[in-house]
Amino acid sequence: MRAQRSVREILLTAAPIALAVFVFAVSFGVLAIAARIPGWAAVLMSALVFAGSAQFAALGVITAGGGVVTAVLTGGLLNLRYIATGIAVARSLPGGRLLRALLGQLVVDESYAMAAGAGEPGRPDRRTLLLTGACLYSVWVAGTLVGTLLGPVLGDPRRLGLDAAFPALFTALLWPMLSARHAVRCAIGGALVAFALAPFTPPGVPLAGAALVGLWLAR
Amino acid sequence: MAGSLALGLVLGLAGLSFAMRAIGPFLPNLPAAITERTSGLAPALLAALVAIQLTGANGLLHLDVKVPAVILAAVLSALRLPLIVCVVAGALVAALLRAAFHL
Repeated sequence: MRAQRSVREILLTAAPIALAVFVFAVSFGVLAIAARIPGWAAVLMSALVFAGSAQFAALGVITAGGGVVTAVLTGGLLNLRYIATGIAVARSLPGGRLLRALLGQLVVDESYAMAAGAGEPGRPDRRTLLLTGACLYSVWVAGTLVGTLLGPVLGDPRRLGLDAAFPALFTALLWPMLSARHAVRCAIGGALVAFALAPFTPPGVPLAGAALVGLWLAR
Repeated sequence: MAGSLALGLVLGLAGLSFAMRAIGPFLPNLPAAITERTSGLAPALLAALVAIQLTGANGLLHLDVKVPAVILAAVLSALRLPLIVCVVAGALVAALLRAAFHL
């Protein structure tokens, strides 16, 4: 068993990730304003959802002209992976079921990865998980606030290429997943279905079709 | 966007996210088959989101500065650069191409 790491050590390791998360949160705030979502709603979303890919996906749907229900379902489905990480960290969390379910809200991809790296196999390190999670949460909400204040000052989002940030982000999120063969199959299927349905259907339908194909091709 | 719609968006997404993060710690003995099956959702949805972003208002593929942005993001991800670098580079190349060719 490794010696327990101090709070200082954990926060120092988390600092570069926190910086990247901050920049990411600022861009979320800016893009939310560009998508005409009120600033308070963007900050509230970061405080209550705390999941970059889901929040950006919801924004992307709104920007592409989709409705609120489509945006919620698309973001929600992208968060399904947190069921798996939740099961993986369950034994590392203290307290009874309710406290564990609450502390489980601090799990994001980055805090999970760091805790898994610092812990023993099958048992992510509790202090790393909770401290990193709390640190990234504060930075995520603060960065969003900064972004919503910066958004109106920046001017035309297209001139800054901000509309191209969405497809670039989704591509960069997708790429590392493609090391698994089933993921390649699902990605190709999802893109083909979306391209095929987009000319004939409202924005929600291509995404729903892609989700079904993803479930179908998963194994 | 109207305030009530925005609130619906936030609370809807927050409710789903809360539930998904809570299920594991609350019921740690879920069958693995469920999580295996859902692992196909993220790649399919992300690819579809890229596709949707590349289509115009008529739903057909629309070739503009977003295409080089996507290609650059893919190349930089393949080189294992951090996510934020890929995104900023994608936006930057789009902004530069637009400024250079008045698109």
